[in-house]
Amino acid sequence: MSCEKYSGSLTDAALGELRAEREPELLAHTMECATCREALNHARQVRQFIDRGVESLVSGEPTPQFAVNLRRRIAQKAESPQSPWMAWAPVIAGALALAVVLTIMVAHRRVRSGLNPSVASAITPISTPPEAATASPASSQHSQRTEGTLGSEGTGRARPFTTALPEVIVPKGQLSAAAQLSAAINSGRVDGNQLVAAQQEYEKPLEVKLIEIAPMEIPALDTAAEKPANSIQF
Amino acid sequence: MDALAASFPGSAVSRDESLAREFEQRLADCPKLAYRVALGVLHNPAEAEDVAQDAMLRAYRNFHRLRDRERFRGWLVRMAFRLALDRIRSKTRRERHEHDATRATIHAQPKADVENLVASREFERQVAQALDKLPEKLRIVMVLAAIEGYNTREVAKLAGLPEGTVKSRLFLARKKLAESLQCLVKNTPDR
Repeated sequence: MSCEKYSGSLTDAALGELRAEREPELLAHTMECATCREALNHARQVRQFIDRGVESLVSGEPTPQFAVNLRRRIAQKAESPQSPWMAWAPVIAGALALAVVLTIMVAHRRVRSGLNPSVASAITPISTPPEAATASPASSQHSQRTEGTLGSEGTGRARPFTTALPEVIVPKGQLSAAAQLSAAINSGRVDGNQLVAAQQEYEKPLEVKLIEIAPMEIPALDTAAEKPANSIQF
Repeated sequence: MDALAASFPGSAVSRDESLAREFEQRLADCPKLAYRVALGVLHNPAEAEDVAQDAMLRAYRNFHRLRDRERFRGWLVRMAFRLALDRIRSKTRRERHEHDATRATIHAQPKADVENLVASREFERQVAQALDKLPEKLRIVMVLAAIEGYNTREVAKLAGLPEGTVKSRLFLARKKLAESLQCLVKNTPDR
């Protein structure tokens, strides 16, 4: 019965982790009990083996070649130092990804706003002369696109175009007027720059000028002089 | 290793002269420490050497980031331990099978005499296998305690743990190893 009581403590004692107040009691028991004494000795022996075994595992020195190889590898590292920009590579990549996402979001929003039925969008070749439109395939493609857009007036729906030319949003019902204006600018009958200057002038904020109000001069009344001769006094 | 420290050209170690000198000072004994930690995990001198070199190289590369230079040894030890574990994990399944086959052969051998047992390769292998079975947190304290007989305080400093934690982990590690290895020791009492 008492052996069972101490059996759990034998390993703790062998590993030096038995509480101080329990150790004398256990040692007294092992003096009387041969089995427990043997078990304690065995546990101590096992601990000794373990420590010696693990020590033997980690004993040893690196070979002399270790120093040479390490020196060579560090020298190689020093010769080809990592660019300081490489440290920022993840940050730059993240910023680029964010920029792409934002661009897509903005483009998407613009497309959505173009789908608003209250306005129709049109892309007008404001600054491109008609000669230039026929000069290159890209320009002719653009003029075709323009025609296509103008044709969509009746539907009142916008078509997003991927073009480098300025995009003009024309309120519904004014598309034909805008087309006429565009044609006039292209033909040279109307000076576009003048129009832009006029628009800029129009958009200038109003200047508020202070008005100086001079005090009124009231001449003094001369009652005696101004009294009519035939005035009736009550 | 002193020869190693002396052989480093200042410019090769780092552009910053003071950092280079500091790193060189640590080259005297630290490679040996890293090697032994790796050896405790890998049980293979060639691989341990390779891992220790990797750890030293990584330490060299990131030395400027280490604010508290006093923690260099602990930092290096943990780095070597991690790299050694990574190396083990990257081993192929075929190697594991070979390992298991070797273990089966060892189990079949009869119990040896105490001193012969400790000296034998089989015992070393058995200890290594028992050590491998330990959880990582127990294994590192056991390995560190075995290196140059470091006491609990030194192990705590190297492992970056409180002393009490190291003490309890050492106890648990030894207990588990004892359970694994007691069958090898002669005169096992039958209770």
